Formats: sequence, structure tokens, C-alpha cells
Amino acid sequence: MKYIVPVVGTVAAVALFAFSNFNSGSAIAAETSKKADIYKQLQLFPDVLARVRADYVVDVQDELLIEDAINGMLQSLDPHSSYMNAEAFRDMQNVTAGEYGGLGMEVTSDSGFVKIIAPIDNTPAYKAGIKAGDYITEIDGDSLIGMSLTDAVDQMRGKPGEPITVTVVRKDEEPMEITMVRAIIPQNRATYKIQDGIPVIRISQFNEKTESSMVSAIQSARKDLGGSVPGLVLDLRRNPGGLLDQSIKVSSAFLNGGDVVSTRGRRANDVQEYGAEKGELLKDVPVVVIIDNASASAAEIVAGALQDRGRGLVIGATSFGKGSVQSIIPLEGGRQGALRLTTQRYYTPSGRSIQGTGIEPDIFVSATPKDEDARKSFRESDLPNAIKNELEAAEEDEVEAVVEYPPEGFAEDGDFQLDKAIEILKSGQYKALMAAAG
Amino acid sequence: MPSPSVMNTSKTSSWRQRLLIGSLLIALVSLVAPGPISLISEAQSSAKKTDKQKRAEDQAMIEELKFFGDVFARVRSEYVEDVPDEDLIAAALNGALHALDPHSAYVPPVDFEEQQVSSRREYGGIGIEVSQELGLVKVQYALEDGPAYKAGIRTGDFITAVEGEKVRGKTLDDAIKGMKGLAGDPVTVTVLDTNNITKDIVVVRQTVRGRAIQHRVLDGLGYVFIETFNNENLARDLERALNDLKRQIGGNIPGLVIDMRGNRGGLLDQSVDVSSLFLDGGEVLSSRGRTPEDTERYHAAPGQYDENMPIVVLINSGSASAAEIVAGALQDRGRAVVMGRRSFGKGSVQSVIPLLENGGALRLTTQRYYTPSGTSIQGRGIMPDILVALSPDTGKVEKRFREDSLRNSLGNPDDSDFAENHDDIDYPPEEWPKTEDYQLKAAQDLLRSSRYRTMIAKFDQLAP
Repeated sequence: MKYIVPVVGTVAAVALFAFSNFNSGSAIAAETSKKADIYKQLQLFPDVLARVRADYVVDVQDELLIEDAINGMLQSLDPHSSYMNAEAFRDMQNVTAGEYGGLGMEVTSDSGFVKIIAPIDNTPAYKAGIKAGDYITEIDGDSLIGMSLTDAVDQMRGKPGEPITVTVVRKDEEPMEITMVRAIIPQNRATYKIQDGIPVIRISQFNEKTESSMVSAIQSARKDLGGSVPGLVLDLRRNPGGLLDQSIKVSSAFLNGGDVVSTRGRRANDVQEYGAEKGELLKDVPVVVIIDNASASAAEIVAGALQDRGRGLVIGATSFGKGSVQSIIPLEGGRQGALRLTTQRYYTPSGRSIQGTGIEPDIFVSATPKDEDARKSFRESDLPNAIKNELEAAEEDEVEAVVEYPPEGFAEDGDFQLDKAIEILKSGQYKALMAAAG
Repeated sequence: MPSPSVMNTSKTSSWRQRLLIGSLLIALVSLVAPGPISLISEAQSSAKKTDKQKRAEDQAMIEELKFFGDVFARVRSEYVEDVPDEDLIAAALNGALHALDPHSAYVPPVDFEEQQVSSRREYGGIGIEVSQELGLVKVQYALEDGPAYKAGIRTGDFITAVEGEKVRGKTLDDAIKGMKGLAGDPVTVTVLDTNNITKDIVVVRQTVRGRAIQHRVLDGLGYVFIETFNNENLARDLERALNDLKRQIGGNIPGLVIDMRGNRGGLLDQSVDVSSLFLDGGEVLSSRGRTPEDTERYHAAPGQYDENMPIVVLINSGSASAAEIVAGALQDRGRAVVMGRRSFGKGSVQSVIPLLENGGALRLTTQRYYTPSGTSIQGRGIMPDILVALSPDTGKVEKRFREDSLRNSLGNPDDSDFAENHDDIDYPPEEWPKTEDYQLKAAQDLLRSSRYRTMIAKFDQLAP
């Protein structure tokens, strides 16, 4: 059995452990012809170590060199692969056991800085006004230049109640110092509100309670509306993802069997398909899913499944494009730490890879007034070194999309994307738009 | 492959033949990225430890290497994509070496050959000196006369892509390869500037060559600006410039300002030759490794250029490496008063160590520079005798980018505090016009005042 960690590099980590089902020696043994070459490559190391030991300007420990070598190798692969030494691996296990405090934001690495994918609702980061796309350049006055993402995330974690000051750089603004107090990251449940007779379900992350709380939210909403639900909005904006199985269960609630997502590794036989269970919660009820550039990973799986299966109309902005799966591979049972290695990619039911390109909405609706720069909002494909989508050709052909913007004078605290979703459901355009979306 | 390489082919090949013999030591060649370079031969690896100690160390190393081999195998078999073995190895070696300090790196085979050529070629292309900071290319210095500067690229900018190709994940040498090319050909670089704004800038490549200094007579005093030490004719050009100043003034130079602000360094022998011009013999600097046997000393030639000529040396936080050697030598030897701000602090020597396995090389920090009084420059830089600021005091403590701002930079053996004393800094008055160079004016004022002689006399007393 292989478990998957759908989210990495997260302060509010929700992680499972994978014990990889391969046998480490055989991979090399199988390729005798390449063996000599690999051996030659590996032989560089004793020479380099000896040189450093003899000639470097100060004394260096071999084991630190090796650890840094492994780190260098993994970080060169993509921003989500890394090495954890034994101590970091233990810490990560504590994190999943809930014994830590954090800031509550999904982060990634860009230009050597920590970049925010999204702050999670009701967390210190969210309350402090951290926004998707912000950079963190310093922690407690120390520059993060050259620091690995893993180390930066480690520094942001700590005991609940401990304060931390980060320097935040936001486009077109002066760098600002923001002090936050670390807290236990809440396991947000799905919530709902009713707007103009339409239930709006808000899912801000995918944790163990997501599907069950969503189902009870829908039931409560149905009750509030006197038993009939005319349409439903599923709000997945600023949702950085979380547990894969929850994204499948959430999708499954709206689908009567069939494909939800598949993960594919390097080898042709390394395919895992995940399907929906029979039966659906809101048969024939129109669903509008709202996503934005901070919807990542598990959130993209749900949006992609409902879109591909013709079960929901997706509106908003192109999602983040975090469609890779990291496995945690313990080394010597964890005594030598563990690898966090990208091993697979997610594919929507129609076979689209999410990695890099993200999920493109059926209707582009902007949250903010027209602004050329907003079109350039960052996504996974902007990350240095991001794993290229194999279907890159399609990306290049991307046609300038038609985007609906809030009208002039639209209230600054209003939610144009949500208003648009409600309008689609109320005005009866839904069917026509779904047909147009194919 | 850049075109000017052709003329160096014969030199390169003979060099490599000598290398194969395995007993050569080319002394320090250069001081800036891509590196103060010296070559270390097999014979130099010191066998100072007993066999028993060595065997225990070797055993531990074998264990570590087995561990690495295991991880390597897992990445090869499990990663979502095929990655060439040599890329994985290069990334691993770079990871290990970068973790030592920001100037140590692995140079893959092809690049190493190219570097043999380019270290003799000075720089061509778009006229910037660069370093790597976690995979991005940082403009350490945009030459004022270079095409990059004219196109708006400034010191401190990051280059994120060349011709649309991202530099992240490449070695520095790979990343800058795209900027080199035929003069006259345009190249598009994507720049992340200090305001965090990304823009595409088209730069027309040009051969950036010529003199590394500028000189002129300023209010009857001599002024020499040394832009870089990365020029084989620098000391010669400087002497010629001094002669020209004499001619213009019509007699001895009554006082000389040597301006090395923003000078990122360059060739070590040029820093020795420039210092030598103003010193009558004696030590200029020493470079010291881990053991006393590694120490090398560099001396000035006998005789000096007009020993009675007062000299003020101007430095700032951008003055690095070779510039710091000159400032440190003239300061320690009591030959000049140093003014401005504390310098950058790049006082380490990188050696290029060829790897016989694959034809690549290590660029490894092996030594630190010391001024004649035995002070290490690394991480601390040169402290001016008189602290003078360029712009008025804002009350804020400005953060300056120096060697010790680089992550995990090599430390100084002396770890005592070496910060500028804020109260000692001479700031221009608030209404000081931005177009006027306050530091230069302070230097000229000092040369004309009696205070200069008093200060120099004091140095002489302090001298051992």
C-alpha cells in the first residue's frame, strides 16, 4: 500500500507517510550497461570529499557534506523535493501528530524566497493579512536568501504562543514587517451560508473532517431552504489542498461512480486510479465551483473532476497548478532521515495533467477590477524549476481568455466572483453555459 | 562557444598537457567570480595524519558514501521523470560545496574547459559581473560603460532568465552562457530588480574591454578611479595615468585620490603591482590556509612612485577583494589615509582543483587574505581611517550588502565586533545636493589640510 502526501512545504502540514514499495538495489543492478557509467559518476565523491578534507580553508565534517550533497541533489529536481535528516523527519512526524504551532500558510519556493500559495482561513497568517503571492524575505530579521524551503518552514514552526516577525514583500508595496503569534493550526471544517436562496459551501482546506463536515453543511442548508436546493456554490478559493482521499470523497459526493483522478509515475504500470462511489448527494442540482490562483493540489482535483465529468461549472481564475505527488521515503527506517520525493503527477478524468497548467475555469471571472498586472498572477509554472507539464505545447497555444471584471464602482468589500456564481444559478443560464463549456 | 576562444587554443592545450603531468601549481590568477583561481596539484594534498587516523576516517567516509549511493539509486528509480545521472551528481556536488561557503562550487567538465579560456579573456558579453545566489544570477556589478548598464541593468538586480530560459537550476556557468555571444547580437534578459519588479531587457552584446581606470585633475589634485582589477594592464595604465596627471599639473602631483568605490576586485597580481607602485618593497599581503605551510607572502618591488605624494584611498561597501588588498596594504604600511565606508570583506582565495575522473573541477576556498599587519579581510573588510558617508543621515541603520550578508559565508578568524561606529561617521548636511560627491570632497579637503600629515605621522609611530 502506498500512501501519498498531496501537500508539501506547508506550515500547516497534513502529511501521511509512504513506505515505498521498491527495492533499492535492484534498480541499478537491472541496468548493467549503465552501471559502469554510474560507478564512474559516483566515484567523483570520494575524490571530492578527500579534497575538501585536505584543502578546504577550515575543518569540515564528512557527514555534513554528504547531507548537503543529498539536499543539493533533491532540491535541483523541483521545489517540492527535499531531504530531511533524522531530526527533521522526527519533527515532521510530530507535526502530523499536532504537537506544533505554525502560521497556517501554504508556501513554496521562488527566486530563493518563500512564496505564499495561500493563507489558510482562521490562522495567524490569515488574520495578519498575508496574501497569496506574497514573498517572505526575512524571518526575525535574518535573510532567507540561500535557505532551503524546508529550513525556512522549520523556522516558522514552533511552540504555540511564540511570536515571530517576518518581512513580507508584496508587489508594488514597500517591504513590511509582520509579527504573528504561532498557533495550533485549526482543522477547518466546511462551512456554509445562504445567499439569495443558494447555499454557498466554503472549503478552505482538505483535512480529515472535510467531507463529513461538507455533507452536514449541505444537509443543514437543505433544511434551511425547506428541503429543496435550487443550486449550489462550492468555494475552493485560497484552498491550498491537503489530503488526497478527502478530495476524492468530496468529488464523490457529487458524482455517481466513475473516475475522479489518477496518479501516474514514471513507469507505464505505475498508475493509480481513484473513482467515485455510487450514488450522489445532490442529483441534478446545478453546481458552480469557484477557484482562483491560490487553489492548489486537492482543490484542483475536485475542480478538475467536476469539470471533466460535466458535473459543475468552474468559474474564477486558473488554479495554481500543483499537480505533483510527493512520497515520503524513510531511509533505514528513518534513522537516516527521509526523502520527500516527487514520484507522481495527478491527472483529471479526461487525462489532463494538473501540474504546471492548473485548472482553467469555464468562465474567467476576476475578483478585482481590470489591471494588466493581475493577469500575470503567479502559478506553479512560474516557479523556477517546476516540473514541466508534458502537454506544454497546449500551454503555449493558450488563447487570451475573455475575463469578466467587476464593474466600476463595485464595492471593495464585495465578492464579485461569488455574485457571478449566484447570478449564473439564479438566472437560468447554467444549462446553456454548461453546454457551451462542453 | 564564444568566438574569442580561438586565439587561446594553443595555450589551453599546452596547459592541459602540463596538468596531466600532475605536478604544476599555477599561482593565483584572479580574484573575482568566476573565481580567484589557483591550481592545486595532487602532490600538495598533505599527509599530516597518521595512517591509523586516516584509516578510521576513510572507513567513516565509505559509510557516508554508501549512504549517498543509496539515496542516488532511489532518486534514479523513483523520481517522476528521468534525470540524467550527471545532472544529479552535479547538483549533489554543488549542494555540498555551496554549503561550505558561497564561493565554492563544482565546475562540470565542459564548463571547466571554457573557463580556462574565459579567465584569460576578461569579460565580454553584456558587461556585468555576476554571482549565484541560490540558483539565481545576481548582478554584483554592472559596468558603467557596458551595454547592460546602458540598458538599465543595475548592481543588485537578479537575472531570472536569458532568452526566456530560466536560470534557476543551472550552474552559474550554464546560466551566463546565453549572455555571451557575438558582439552586435542582441540578447533578452529577464531582470528582477531591487524593487522586485520583473522586466525583459534587450541588451546588444558588445566587447567590453579597454582601460579599467579613469583619471583627471580635480581642482589641482590628482584623481584616479579604478573600476576593476580584472585587467592585465591595470598597473601599467595606472602609472601612465599618473604621468599624464603630472604633465597636466606641470609638476609633482600635490595630492592623489585613489577611488576604489564599487570596485569588485579582479586579478591578484594587479593588486600587488598597484600596491607596489606606492610602496618601496615590503609585504603587501599574505594568503593563509589551514596550516602554516600553506602561507604565501607577496611583496612590493623596491622603489615607489613619488614617495612624498599624499594619497587618500576611497572605499565603500562595494569595494571587494583585490581593492581591499590595495586599501589594506596602503593603510597598514602608513602610505595612505583610507576614507569612506567599511569595505565588502571578500578575503578568501578559491583554488581550482581539477578532477581527473571526469575532467571537471572543484572551485574550493582554500585560503584567506591577510593585510601586512596580519589582519584577515574575510567577512570584515577594511575599516576606513575616516568614516565618511555619501548621503545625509536618515537616522535609519542602512543594511548594506557585504560578504557577511551572504548566507553561510566564511567567517573571520577574529570574531570580535567589527561594525562601523555610527557616531564616527561624517555625514553630509541634510541640504547636500545629490549630484555632489561628499566622500570625494572630504578626500580632497583632507589632502589640502595639515590633518593629512598628522595622520600619516601617527601611522608611522604605530608601525612596528
